[in-house]
Amino acid sequence: MKVGRIIKVSGPLVVAEGMDEANVYDVVKVSENKLIGEIIEMRGDKASIQVYEETTGIGPGEPVYTTGEPLSVELGPGLVTTMFDGIQRPLDAIREVGGDFLTRGIDLPGLDREKKWHFTPTVKVGDEVGPGDVIGTVQETAVVLHKIMVPPGISGRVKSIEEGEFTVVDTVCVLEGDQEYELQMMQKWPVRRGRPYIKKLDPDEPLITGQRVIDTFFPAAKGGTAAVPGPFGSGKTVVQHQLAKWADAEIIVYVGCGERGNEMTDVLMEFPEIKDPRTGESLMNRTILIANTSNMPVAAREASIYTGITIAEYFRDMGYSVAIMADSTSRWAEALREMSGRLEEMPGDEGYPAYLASRAAEFYERAGKVVCLGKDNRVGALTVIGAVSPPGGDISEPVSQATLRIVKVFWGLDSSLAYRRHFPAINWLNSYSLYQNKVDQWMDKNIDPEFSKNRIKAMTLLQEESSLQEIVRLVGRDSLSEGDQLKLEAAKSIREDFLQQNAFHEEDTYTSLNKQNLMLKMVLAFYDEGKRALDNGVYLKEILDLPVREKIARAKFIGEDRVSEIESIIEELKASIDELVSKGGILNA
Amino acid sequence: MIYMYKVAVVGDKDSILGFKALGIDVFPVIEKDEARRVVDTLARDKYGIIFITEQTASLIPDTIERYNNQMLPAVILIPSNQGTLNIGMDMINKNVEKAVGTNIL
Repeated sequence: MKVGRIIKVSGPLVVAEGMDEANVYDVVKVSENKLIGEIIEMRGDKASIQVYEETTGIGPGEPVYTTGEPLSVELGPGLVTTMFDGIQRPLDAIREVGGDFLTRGIDLPGLDREKKWHFTPTVKVGDEVGPGDVIGTVQETAVVLHKIMVPPGISGRVKSIEEGEFTVVDTVCVLEGDQEYELQMMQKWPVRRGRPYIKKLDPDEPLITGQRVIDTFFPAAKGGTAAVPGPFGSGKTVVQHQLAKWADAEIIVYVGCGERGNEMTDVLMEFPEIKDPRTGESLMNRTILIANTSNMPVAAREASIYTGITIAEYFRDMGYSVAIMADSTSRWAEALREMSGRLEEMPGDEGYPAYLASRAAEFYERAGKVVCLGKDNRVGALTVIGAVSPPGGDISEPVSQATLRIVKVFWGLDSSLAYRRHFPAINWLNSYSLYQNKVDQWMDKNIDPEFSKNRIKAMTLLQEESSLQEIVRLVGRDSLSEGDQLKLEAAKSIREDFLQQNAFHEEDTYTSLNKQNLMLKMVLAFYDEGKRALDNGVYLKEILDLPVREKIARAKFIGEDRVSEIESIIEELKASIDELVSKGGILNA
Repeated sequence: MIYMYKVAVVGDKDSILGFKALGIDVFPVIEKDEARRVVDTLARDKYGIIFITEQTASLIPDTIERYNNQMLPAVILIPSNQGTLNIGMDMINKNVEKAVGTNIL
């Protein structure tokens, strides 16, 4: 193929001429160092290339080689537990070749070519298979059964298939038909194109995260989209980590995009230690990490999001529930802005390119609960959770706005809550979930018929609290009636005993839906019983001084195996209110 | 129809018995819990004014405070036959101060 010549270098942007044979979005190798780049604009025979590596020392005149292929990821056994950079180079392998920091021009395949996997066929010779059909399985980790599927666009009759130990590039199956295909365990897919599916379904099942404020008040659905905007220090990363740890998805893809390196280290250090409550295996066994930390090349940041979601889609196609966390999409948007600026495009709001909103939509729209390709009609779900870091915490900026237009769940983090040490600092007054109706139905059916009623009651109390707080600020707490003061106390109890959750406490970090339901009942019982007592002439002070309140506050630390203790707290509460009523109540003259 | 509120007196028997002559309901009480119960019951029983002797009131400050924040009933402290403790006058002074901003009495 014709070799191009560099005429301009501007940071990660390289312009080369003589590229008339190349197409936009082709991968190219820049200079003799063979730096990996991608063509993002073509004018005549001039190509603008974003280079995914450091471009120091590159100058005009140097060659550019086209590969003629779009930027693709390798999909096959070996993805899970690995940490990749933005263009799917395994960081462990890079370190062996080039040391602790990224060295230029290292060209490594995404999947280990040497490692052998045990392939077990699930189809026989003579079977007709089409796109998406599972031809065999590989036990990739203790919890992930990797299904080897026929790549989209290929079909035929199985001519030969073998069981045994293979590498990802060995032929495991041959298909015959109009044309003969040799299938390997690995397939390639261009990152900028969504993988095909048969039909999109309406997400109606909650993604259970074990985080009380999320599951109870602002649930995300499996196959849904959610955004976590928040100023720095408000706990975006901790929320994302908590979701990555405890969400009931079968595969987690965690994209660390432009954030601190030690946050990825935290994941690498913590995840192998933590046991998944559902499988009892290490959490790392279901996790894929994509890292483009703040000191890694900015162009690869743009690609990291696509690399992550393509891998996630691949596992979705196996019929798994997959969740991808992107932390943070603002850094990704800033990478777009940087490239757009160097391309001398007309800037939009705050310098972001005019296509920011469509790019963000493109990314989030790849989420969904779908009927996958293949004859068995398996259903897979891909949930996308993106963190957004608006400067100054002001969500009226373009990235937040572009995101909020697409996502259906908004967990607004609040710096004043974080300052008060209320974590997770999700503001219950301005957050929302548009999956609430669907999820309510699910909860009422599967957890407790009263669940949605209780949730609405608790939310009403919290909202009434905020309007009462305004009165308190003006005229003081004592001027409220006892009923309103009880309401404030009950709302405080919901905030402190239910919403607040310590991510670093062994028992409190994850709460099952069953326990959440009981805890919600418990804090609401305090309000109902308190009101009953007030109506019977008991003094507020006596209700507030009840020793059982201490137990309510500590209920979150009750282990999952002893949740029935919460029921006994409710009983105890009722009994002590009964006692108050009989002792201090009015005379029944 | 205008509702007719009733008037009650609560306190030790010797101090309050005289009020009976005026047609006011009297409720003699001795100890704390009893006083509290009586006042709470009267408050629900459409008594518009409840006079309490200062001695009795000093036993149940929570209860007095509770009705201070409500329009009805008006809980008014009176001296008993043993003399005054000045709590009643203090409360009036405080209320005046709240209402006019300075103590004009």
